[in-house]
Amino acid sequence: MRPFKYTRATDVAAAAKTVSTNREAAFLAGGTNLLDLMKEGVAKPSELVDISGLAFSKIRSSGNVISIGSTAKNSDTANHALIRRNFPMLSQAILAGASAQIRNMATNGGNLMQRTRCTYFYDVNMPCNKREPGSGCGAMEGINKGHAIFGWSDKCIATNPSDMSVALMALDAVVKVSGADKKQRSIAFADFHRLPGDTPEKDNTLEPGEMITSIDIPMSSAGMAANSYYLKVRDRASYAFALVSVAAAFEIKGGSVAKARVALGSVSHKPWRCDQAEKLLTGKSLKDLNDASLRAAVDAELMDAKPLEHNGYKVELARRAMVLAFKRALKSEVVA
Amino acid sequence: MSEEKTVKNRKNKFIGENVNRIDGIFKVTGTARFATDWPVANVAYAVIAKAATAAGTISGIDSAAAEKAPGVIGVITHKNAPKLTPAGNLSGGSVLQDAKIEFFGQHSAVVVAETFEQAQAAAEMIKFTYAKAEARVNFDELIKTAQKSPSPARADVVRGDFEKAYSAAEHKLDAVYETPIEHHQPMEPHSTIAMWEGDNLTIYNPSQVVMGMRGAMATVFGLKPEQVRVITPHIGGGFGAKGGAWGNTALAAMAAKVVKRPVKLALTRQQMVNSVGLRQKNVQRMRLGADATGKLAAIAHETSTHTGTTSQFVEGCGDVSAMTYAVPNSLISYKTTAMNVISPTFVRGPGKAPGSFALECAIDELAYSLKMDPIEFRLKNEPDKDPANGRPWSSRSVVECLRRGSEMFGWKNRKMEPRQVRNGEFLVGSGVAVGSYPARQQGTSAIAKLTRKGTDVEATVELAASDLGTGTHTILAQIAAETLDLPISRISVKIGDSSLPPAAGSVGSVGAASFSNAVSEVCLQCISELQARSPKSSGPSDPVPVNVAELMSEANLTEFQTRVDARPPAQAGQYSSHSFNANFAEVWVNEQTGMIRVNRMVAVTGAGRILNPKTTRSQILGGCIWGIGMALHEESILDPRWGNFVTRTFADYHIPVNLDIGTIDVAFVAEEDKIVNKLGVKGVGEVGIVGVAAAVANAVFNATGKRIRKLPITPDKLM
Ligand SMILES: Cc1cc2nc3c(=O)[nH]c(=O)nc-3n(C[C@H](O)[C@H](O)[C@H](O)COP(=O)(O)OP(=O)(O)OC[C@H]3O[C@@H](n4cnc5c(N)ncnc54)[C@H](O)[C@@H]3O)c2cc1C
Ligand code: SF4
Repeated sequence: MRPFKYTRATDVAAAAKTVSTNREAAFLAGGTNLLDLMKEGVAKPSELVDISGLAFSKIRSSGNVISIGSTAKNSDTANHALIRRNFPMLSQAILAGASAQIRNMATNGGNLMQRTRCTYFYDVNMPCNKREPGSGCGAMEGINKGHAIFGWSDKCIATNPSDMSVALMALDAVVKVSGADKKQRSIAFADFHRLPGDTPEKDNTLEPGEMITSIDIPMSSAGMAANSYYLKVRDRASYAFALVSVAAAFEIKGGSVAKARVALGSVSHKPWRCDQAEKLLTGKSLKDLNDASLRAAVDAELMDAKPLEHNGYKVELARRAMVLAFKRALKSEVVA
Repeated sequence: MSEEKTVKNRKNKFIGENVNRIDGIFKVTGTARFATDWPVANVAYAVIAKAATAAGTISGIDSAAAEKAPGVIGVITHKNAPKLTPAGNLSGGSVLQDAKIEFFGQHSAVVVAETFEQAQAAAEMIKFTYAKAEARVNFDELIKTAQKSPSPARADVVRGDFEKAYSAAEHKLDAVYETPIEHHQPMEPHSTIAMWEGDNLTIYNPSQVVMGMRGAMATVFGLKPEQVRVITPHIGGGFGAKGGAWGNTALAAMAAKVVKRPVKLALTRQQMVNSVGLRQKNVQRMRLGADATGKLAAIAHETSTHTGTTSQFVEGCGDVSAMTYAVPNSLISYKTTAMNVISPTFVRGPGKAPGSFALECAIDELAYSLKMDPIEFRLKNEPDKDPANGRPWSSRSVVECLRRGSEMFGWKNRKMEPRQVRNGEFLVGSGVAVGSYPARQQGTSAIAKLTRKGTDVEATVELAASDLGTGTHTILAQIAAETLDLPISRISVKIGDSSLPPAAGSVGSVGAASFSNAVSEVCLQCISELQARSPKSSGPSDPVPVNVAELMSEANLTEFQTRVDARPPAQAGQYSSHSFNANFAEVWVNEQTGMIRVNRMVAVTGAGRILNPKTTRSQILGGCIWGIGMALHEESILDPRWGNFVTRTFADYHIPVNLDIGTIDVAFVAEEDKIVNKLGVKGVGEVGIVGVAAAVANAVFNATGKRIRKLPITPDKLM
């Protein structure tokens, strides 16, 4: 670990300015990911700008959105009444991640920004295009059991590990950011994380110095609260990253699916929105939802999966997990 | 418990009681000192830099930046390292004697600095260049050309005519079971403070075998054993990784010598994977044959595995097949191939844990083909003497363990046919397996010191034993207190220091038997010597009750001490002694996701006299939990291209978490063994894990109908 400067930010603009001018500076929130990466020598910031004291820790309802502050803790977010009532799937997703202790430290902004868990990325002795562009991809022909089945490139096959992000993707969230010169913009969740392409070093579409201030979820997504579920499949009961996860949410009106939102986690460089499955499920009458029709929706989505040497199981696992998540989300509405 | 106590008519009864750990208060208040907790003045910090290739030589080292980095006091590489004599005395891990690289992550330099952070920053600055050689790291390829193990301990063991009996057998099984590389990863990573006074070396270092560590350091540094002092009163777990001496301890002492200051060296969690040994990967082919009535006729247990490139250590997977069942024809063999990995070593239940996974799953499979209850099948093949050597058992309680366990578990409700029990999304299944581990006492000396103030006597027992966190302090206090008939608060236990009388180690389940018999003997000797001195006493005839205060005051003594060199009883060698276990597991398998939960477990153990049911139960619980980890989670994965472990941290190397553990019921069957040693203590450190993985795997089969012969059983394998 190399020596670094530490400062406590007092306003967003100044913090953003520091990080945009010093390309080696980084925001520090809960530190649960960044400090690990620094200890491993993966991240080597020369300066840490601690944003945890900034006034973005509120979760509140404003107009037709619920706005989740970027520095609010994961645990406070998951347990907040507004979230539990309107977006229980988001609570489930957050609580499925990490451990109670880590969630007490981790922030929402940091959660969206957390980096891949690819073991070659973490080990500085290994080639990794994401850590060191041009050095090669250690996982491509290595142990890639946990890697992507969708959207990978010949440069990188990593997955995004965030549980929270999978739920946010399905809830049509919007990421609010603020940059140097106080420039603010809104990024649709689907556009926030990116596919690796030729530049896997870039996980997302933030510009240098841009800071996440809040994550806004439209109240229109709250209509799915009663029929939503986050299913995480992992190698042990808790405290493990997903092998595959599913966020499934439905709005049921007049006995049929008025709206379907489905996203998969741990299958791609970004949370994977399942448009195909959504399309096939939307408009379906509940009485037409059965194993076969759910399965058909899932199969349509998974048709394009491109598994690697060691992760072929993910396709079948995703297939089963999606059907199971759909059933749990739809509860009594469908006869299994 | 109505067992006979060692000593009679004592007011203070502690042996066999649930005494709380006497060191518990120090642990929970943070005052128990582990190696690097000792306050040592003027200490410098060392960090190891490791090789990033698996085979070849270091052709260049650029350490200029590191040497100039802030706070750096010394950079040691093979170019400037003092010459040592490591051969044979270290279990593994380089001590910078030459440029050769034997495995990925071999120690390649040590940086010493004023602070840990400075040392770490400088260690990262060292640039190595390598002349790479082809590394032997692809297990699946190498194993194809494995050869008979050159180790005499792993020569073929043949009884009767296996091939003939096997081919004639009515029911046969031929299956291959695979267990991965595993790491011990004790809670406390290996860490050392080393300091020199002239030619005398003192190390604070977690050592399961205190005297062994002293001897190893003495040879490595060319000293007399008395010139080395090893201090290790508390150890944060070892499981075999702290049994031998590894390069890191020698490097700490070397660094202290070079910089002429005390040096602290702690391995990081990531460094543990290639510094202090591992459990080798085992591929075990099992062939079993039985007649129509379920009598076993033949067992072959053929293990293919790897060694390191510089050691021939091979754990004895086949041992279990030599002694668990009465079978007239058997064959046990080992083939090995050398790999560029850190040397394999003892890991909890060495040989027996992976060996029993193969044997006990194979027994389960054969029971299915016989359509016979697997417990009945085992009972049918219960041996009346040890088939491995023809010796009588000093005691053997497999049958009782199985009977008691099946009652506790409710085995009679189990459906033999797989996939019969369903609970919502889950398939429910039950499995059983047995385990064992040899019981031995080893020579151990001990001193007892008594101090009297009026009618109040305090006693200290001293021996170079070790406490891995298992309760050694506590059981020794119990024995001393009861034998001397003193309150336990009047007993001090001094262990973990090589300047104390030499003792066995906490390895291979010999610790409890060796230490406790020595302490018992020294306390009894105290009494008889005091009686001999007492004017009122008629001599050393152990009249009861004992009152050491009275005896001392009659002899006009305020201080008294005596020493014994306890040895195992001569007749013990003519018997076969083991601790035994029966494990039962109920698993819930989510049929869709493949996620497995071990909902319920029962472990019944026969291990001679149980000195403290509370700490013993903890040992068995630990064994069960680690066994669940072995069955479902643990796997160290080598990248077959480069020989690095891709499972360097607990993010990738999974062990069970609380939520993975359901109910575990532990019980002991009474075993009165007057042969194994005077106290009849057998030891439970290893046996708790043996058999657990098989019980879980057998339960998974019972639940799902899928026989997974390759551990760990992760969801992907059930897809
Ligand atoms: C052992 C372990 C297990 C875990 N398991 C899971 C799991 O199962 N599922 C899961 O989803 N996660 C898991 N996590 C990850 C955890 O959720 C993240 O570490 C955490 O959410 C990061 O938040 P933080 O506030 O600590 O971020 P930090 O570590 O402080 O920062 C992470 C990154 O985000 C940047 N950043 C932080 N805040 C902002 C902001 N407002 N705007 C722009 N950039 C910002 C930082 O510069 C840094 O690059 C696990 C972590 C650990 C250590
Ligand atoms: S998958 Fe991506 S993160 Fe992993 S080694 Fe390849 S480039 Fe690096």
